[in-house]
Amino acid sequence: MADIKTRDFSAASAVSILDPQLRKALAQVGTGFDAARRAAIDEVSQELWDEWREEARQIKIHTLDHLDYYLDLLDQNVTKAGGHVHFAKDAAQANDIMGELVRTRNIKVATKSKSMVSEELSLNPALEAQGVDVYETDLGEYIIQLAKETPFHLVAPALHKTKEQVAQLFTDKLGIPYTEDINGLAAAARIALREKFLQADLGISGANFLVAETGTLVIITNEGNGRLSTSAPRIHVGITGMEKVIPSMQDLAVFLRLLPRSATGQGITSYVSMVTGPRRADDEDGPEEFHLIIVDNGRSKMLADPDLREALYCIRCAACLNICPVYQKVGGHAYGWVYPGPIGAIVTPSLIGLKEARDLPQASSLCGACREVCPVKINLPRMLLHLRQKSAESPDSSERSAGLVPNLVAGGYTRLMRSPSLLKLSHTWGRWKQNVWAAMPFFPLTKRNGMIRKTSLPLLSRWTRSRDLPELPKNAFRDIWKKELSQDKDGR
Amino acid sequence: MDGTLGVPKAEFLDSVRRSLDRQPVAPDPAYPRLLDDLSSLQDQTQRIRARIAETRPVLLDKFAEVAQARGWNVHRTSDPENAMAHIQSLADSLGVKNAVRSEQEVFGQVMVDAPLEAAGINMTTVSHGPDSSRESLRSSIIAADIGLTGADYAVVETGSVIVLPRKGLSRLVSVVPPVHLALVRPEDLIESLDDLFVLRRLEYQEKGGDMGSYLNFITGPSRTADIEQTLVVGVHGPKEVHLVLLG
Repeated sequence: MADIKTRDFSAASAVSILDPQLRKALAQVGTGFDAARRAAIDEVSQELWDEWREEARQIKIHTLDHLDYYLDLLDQNVTKAGGHVHFAKDAAQANDIMGELVRTRNIKVATKSKSMVSEELSLNPALEAQGVDVYETDLGEYIIQLAKETPFHLVAPALHKTKEQVAQLFTDKLGIPYTEDINGLAAAARIALREKFLQADLGISGANFLVAETGTLVIITNEGNGRLSTSAPRIHVGITGMEKVIPSMQDLAVFLRLLPRSATGQGITSYVSMVTGPRRADDEDGPEEFHLIIVDNGRSKMLADPDLREALYCIRCAACLNICPVYQKVGGHAYGWVYPGPIGAIVTPSLIGLKEARDLPQASSLCGACREVCPVKINLPRMLLHLRQKSAESPDSSERSAGLVPNLVAGGYTRLMRSPSLLKLSHTWGRWKQNVWAAMPFFPLTKRNGMIRKTSLPLLSRWTRSRDLPELPKNAFRDIWKKELSQDKDGR
Repeated sequence: MDGTLGVPKAEFLDSVRRSLDRQPVAPDPAYPRLLDDLSSLQDQTQRIRARIAETRPVLLDKFAEVAQARGWNVHRTSDPENAMAHIQSLADSLGVKNAVRSEQEVFGQVMVDAPLEAAGINMTTVSHGPDSSRESLRSSIIAADIGLTGADYAVVETGSVIVLPRKGLSRLVSVVPPVHLALVRPEDLIESLDDLFVLRRLEYQEKGGDMGSYLNFITGPSRTADIEQTLVVGVHGPKEVHLVLLG
């Protein structure tokens, strides 16, 4: 599997927040992708959009609830069309299947169109270990492959790179003259990869959808690399998570309406390609062999958990990343594995374990924007809370996100709020501290406009490091009540 | 040919079934769309065809508008002579030396070969004979400055041209050359994605469960915005796409 750096979430986000270049790239996520998404929805009307979302959600609920049936149907129909289906329990097994295929077919060069699952499995290193030269062909994926990085975003993997960085990368790796012209850079990639498409023995693709009824693999692309990867080489291998299946070809219509609009604001992408088996005897071209590798790799655990099953409805549009205040600040790499953003904060702990990724469910303000934009109406905040609860209540301390100090603080706070006399005592002390002792050199306190700007008091100093703390008002409500408001002569 | 690699299917499905807490012999889920039989799909198709026939003039206008907005350069004419003149002048202005076209019905209506050849263009028609000519076909496509195809369907909702690669229709003609030109006839038009998939399902059932190996939607030029979210056209596929609408 891909390298896991999820434990470094806090440290990595602290670094990326201060990176001015990331600030610039991430600022465009809202103005670019999300604005385009909203415009595309306005064009069809929110009402119709919500009808589509509900239809898509119902299809996903039904399919996932009967997944064994639809995987079986899919397998039968791929086989009937002349293809081969292979099932993999985990990453190692998926890579072994691919290894077996490239060995027995003497494959030397492979081109790959964009596939998040292949990132999850670390398929490229596994193929390279078999002596296969594998080329990413989506422009963004190609850039990060050359830079030896992981995707920064589900739809735009090289979002964090400036044109200057890409220019330098292409000069170093492709030996082309330095140019910051984006058209020129894309043209250089076209020339370099065109040669590879024509050399390749193997084309690898992911799948956006798998139609059980006909045994069809569907990919949705804009560049044309998906078409070339599934047409030019003599073997095509599709590799994908088991949750991608849908029952009928007619179910595809609603997803073709939702996915491009949610991802890039397009009414439809430049290309949608539907592959059903290898080329037929009469066809002019196309692969002689078609294989489909269906991967579990932790998904059956999510399926088994009624609180997490919903995360498998995801169609990887990245709308939740684009709208998320946390993703917009920390970017994709801080999440430490393959899937970033709110959906990543759910999928990652579910697939690699809460122990490794216990901090990710905390990476949310629970504002609910992700749920509102989700084209299949996934209730992401609910699952983030569920994972937080699971982490907090875990008997295994390595699964708990909060350390000893926050737990003590939370425990103390609970005690304080439950005891009227303790609360009164602390308010009295607080007023004295804030009003009388504020300027004393021992634990000093800075105030402005009714706010405490800074204090070095233990615990509260952490709060005032990044926020102001309102001053306690001059008179406590309990005293006002007693003196002025209560009708009861005892002040109750 | 080796069989299945990885875990046996039965074992994999068992584990999925256990996750779902489903019985080993669970009843079929009875999904309404999968219950459509041949006659129900024929009925649906008939209704779709009737609706399209009734509204064709409106649909033609709408298709031209949507296709243009999605990046096609649309030329509308019902006169085959005019279509040919348009293609000829386009080839001339692009400086085309090599062209490749598919073998489709529409080229019997718009006969492009003779005039383009007369203009000194080297024309190749997709049609493989013995196996060896597959390679030479591929070389011709790689050398071509423009690829010409018809459309198996044209979807009004999305402005898409749908091609079904098969004998006479290469997968590569519409993606490898830097320019693609598609000829669309009024009878190719269908209104929506829903229409398209009903029609495809009917063909699937009529042909005993085989509707061909490939289906491709083409909607405008090849695009990317992977560098600084800046739009570039023509990254791996054509940078320029033309659509001649014959109606």
